[in-house]
Amino acid sequence: MANRYQNRIELLQGTLDLLILQTLRWGPQHGYGLSQAIRLNSGDILQVDTGSLYPALHRLERQKWIAADWKLSENKQRVRVYRLTAAGKKRLLSERSRWAQLSDAIAGVLEPAKKESEA
Amino acid sequence: MRFPFWRSKRQKQLEQEIESHLQMAKRDRLDHGESEQQAARSARREFGNVALVEHVTRDQWGWVWIEELMQDLRYAARMMRRNLGVTLVAVVTLVSGIGANTAIFSLVDGVLLRPLPFRDANRLVAMNADYPKGAFVVMRDQSRTMDVIAIRDGSAFNLTGRDLPVRLTGAEVSASFFKIMGAQAAMGRTFQDGDDQPGKDDLVILSHSLWEHRFGSDPNVLGRTLLLEGVSRTVVGVMPTDFRFLSPKTELWVPLDLDPRQIGDYWGSSYMPILARLRPGITIDQAQGDLAELRPKILAAFAWRMPDNSYIKSRVIPLQEAIVGDVRTNLLVLLGAVGLLLLIACANVANLLLARATTRQKEMALRAALGASRWRIVRQLISESVLLSVCGGALGLVTAKYGLSILKSVLPADMPRLADVSVDTRVLVFTGLLSVLTGILFGLAPAVGASKVDLTKSLKTGDRSGTSGNTALSRLLVVGEVAVSVVLVIGAGLLVKSLWNLSNANPGFHAEYIVTARVTPNQSFCEMAGRCQTFYNDLLAGVRSLPEVKEAAGVNGLPLGGGFEVIPSDVEGFAIPAGAHVPMMMERVVTADYVRVMGIPLLKGRDLTEADTAPNAERVVLISKSTAERYWPGKDPIGQHLKPRWLDPWWTVVGVVGDVREDSMTRNLEEWLDGEIYTPYGPHAIAGRGPEGPPADLTLVVRTGRAPSQFAGDLQSVVSRLNGDVPVTQIETLHGWIADAISGPRSTASLFAVFAALALALGAIGVYGVISYSVAQRTREIGIRIAMGARREEVLYLIVGQGARLALVGVAAGLLGALALTQLMSSLLYGVGAADPATYIGVALLLVVVAIAASYVPARRAMRVDPVVALRYE
Repeated sequence: MANRYQNRIELLQGTLDLLILQTLRWGPQHGYGLSQAIRLNSGDILQVDTGSLYPALHRLERQKWIAADWKLSENKQRVRVYRLTAAGKKRLLSERSRWAQLSDAIAGVLEPAKKESEA
Repeated sequence: MRFPFWRSKRQKQLEQEIESHLQMAKRDRLDHGESEQQAARSARREFGNVALVEHVTRDQWGWVWIEELMQDLRYAARMMRRNLGVTLVAVVTLVSGIGANTAIFSLVDGVLLRPLPFRDANRLVAMNADYPKGAFVVMRDQSRTMDVIAIRDGSAFNLTGRDLPVRLTGAEVSASFFKIMGAQAAMGRTFQDGDDQPGKDDLVILSHSLWEHRFGSDPNVLGRTLLLEGVSRTVVGVMPTDFRFLSPKTELWVPLDLDPRQIGDYWGSSYMPILARLRPGITIDQAQGDLAELRPKILAAFAWRMPDNSYIKSRVIPLQEAIVGDVRTNLLVLLGAVGLLLLIACANVANLLLARATTRQKEMALRAALGASRWRIVRQLISESVLLSVCGGALGLVTAKYGLSILKSVLPADMPRLADVSVDTRVLVFTGLLSVLTGILFGLAPAVGASKVDLTKSLKTGDRSGTSGNTALSRLLVVGEVAVSVVLVIGAGLLVKSLWNLSNANPGFHAEYIVTARVTPNQSFCEMAGRCQTFYNDLLAGVRSLPEVKEAAGVNGLPLGGGFEVIPSDVEGFAIPAGAHVPMMMERVVTADYVRVMGIPLLKGRDLTEADTAPNAERVVLISKSTAERYWPGKDPIGQHLKPRWLDPWWTVVGVVGDVREDSMTRNLEEWLDGEIYTPYGPHAIAGRGPEGPPADLTLVVRTGRAPSQFAGDLQSVVSRLNGDVPVTQIETLHGWIADAISGPRSTASLFAVFAALALALGAIGVYGVISYSVAQRTREIGIRIAMGARREEVLYLIVGQGARLALVGVAAGLLGALALTQLMSSLLYGVGAADPATYIGVALLLVVVAIAASYVPARRAMRVDPVVALRYE
């Protein structure tokens, strides 16, 4: 458990949105399910903090990228289930391309950074 | 924090959502074989602080923008503290811009915009021409659309019978004046219908300040009798403090004396403004139509035949417009000037922020990488600039408050409504809006520039040269700044030049060594034949015998706006052309030496003499040069005749004198006057009230080497020896009187000059800033140039040339702008065209020189660049 904690990476704000939208592409999901899915899919590295998850969900809902419904779970419990909207699908595409750009950029930074330190 | 009720429902749902999360986590753990108690505990531990999660989630519910705004503002405040130098320069710049705008707006608001302090003030109108009393009565009795008021303001009343005689300023008003204006007395009553009938009109109403200061707020003042101008009047009321009409100087109101038997007064010499209130449902156009229908009735009622098209141009205008008059242009021009000044200030601060934005590019890239949207970054930067400008606005408001009291002392005291001007809620709102707009205006350029960050490039290379867009923008801003400065400095140049022309214009008389004093016996004092004449003869003799007095004379009003009488006249042999009105002659009633003492040139014929003032003397007048040219062109005016329309014997012209600036430094007479005559101070002079007879109120003009303060005591004792009830006021030099006459143009010119100087300084700072920044950016390049063998002077020229080029472009644009904009102020100019080449060339040179000087400092820095250091610079 301690080990897992050390490996955790603080999620950047924009990145969490991306992960939520991406995860919802596979189908509607409730908050707990989302956090589990992100954790499992990242091989236990990305641990989503509830203090980030719920605000993010409510914000994405407000931005109309996701929508929420109350449903009954298999255990007959009322749960709030989120699903991707059409706008959310579009958003997901642009977030993904931004992410690609960012990771290129960061890769770029890491490379010539050495050169600069020599000057 | 209290939530609206719908929120508490949402709150419950949130609690439910979190509860379900905990339940599901617990179930998973139970499935993994944990005990009931352990599962619940670790699910809760993993979840974290429930209250905190609820809190941060709630924040997403719609008041996010407030939250983000606070975050932006906190951040902005931190940035401001960190860049204290930049912040200070920016705030000072903004304070001058916003402060100046707030002060001038307060003036514009108080004078032009705020409604007059009367009930339904927008229903009050005025005629744009003055009418005699008789015409007023026709309008009052026959108008179908308006309740009509006549008011003569600024009449002087001697209050005697108490300790020292005092001179009070009052207004003569028709009986329904207060009722129509909608004003109530604070004590007693206002005038009622019929109070202006002869014999029943010996009444007076006091202003609050007169009652307070002169009567010690005596609660028993009602019913007391005051001796005003030798007439005893009963006090019937005291007005409240906030009733000042027409001007704050008005200390008392008396009923207008409407006696049709006094033909000269009733139809001739008592032209006065006519006001009215539109009756319910009546538009100003309908009132206009009504006035047109009344016109022939008014003309028919005249005691003598008026030309058919008299008053054909009379119009009904809103009262506010009538009161403000030509002050409007002055104020709007000043408002325009401070507006331009604010633009320059904005451009300066924008440049400052642009330069800083460049150094913050990595920060912006990082924020973008962390998921901040472009809009979010723009908003962040705008919040910073708005915070900056709001600080500027707050301080500007303080500045404006002090500035306003300075303004009030600089502006001519007779400026309408000046007393009403103050910093109030409307001004606060204006300043608030102005600050925010300003912040957005100067924040936008840097924000858009910074948000266009190319993520990859900035982060990858830490490159500083990706700022060429910003540099172009900041140069554009400086060019704009220079251009606007040119416009302002040219405007100031033109105004100062016309002020110079005004101060040095020939007023038609010589003011050197002349001291003036107003001597004002009661008009009733003059009713006994010859009494006033004897009094003034004795007085002038007494004054002439004072030490260091060379000459002395008396006149019924000084040139440049002093009081005068108007005589609708018949001119012998002159047929009134179609469309013209009866010749209106301005009458200067003078003692024998007046023309000589004032140095008004006698062009033809003879001067007036003592003999002309005798009761049985032939009636003679002097006329002004342009009067002679107008009525007897190409003929000898000497021996020609004219007379008041309502009197019989002709007056003979015996001399022609030079034209005098009677109205103002820019024109001899008001437009509606056709000529000027000088009548000897004797029984045949027209005093305004009687059919014939000398005016009581004369201004002495005394040629003496002594200062007014030394002279005053002697003069007062001469007067007191002759008559203890006669006040002497307004003892000053004629030069002082002239200075007062151009105080309007002077205040406009000096305010404008201050704004232009500020603009010039800001423009210079702008050029300096941009060139310094460019030198800093080009250090490496300059280093290379020097390393390659460029001489240091060449570097100097390179940099200074850069500044000069910017300035030249700005100056060219500014000259074009000035050509267009100065047209708007052409009515304020005197003796100088709006496109005066000398001013334009001078200002263009000035701006180029200032720009070169401003770029010289950073250029020196560039010259001293050490190539070795410079090449390491990046």
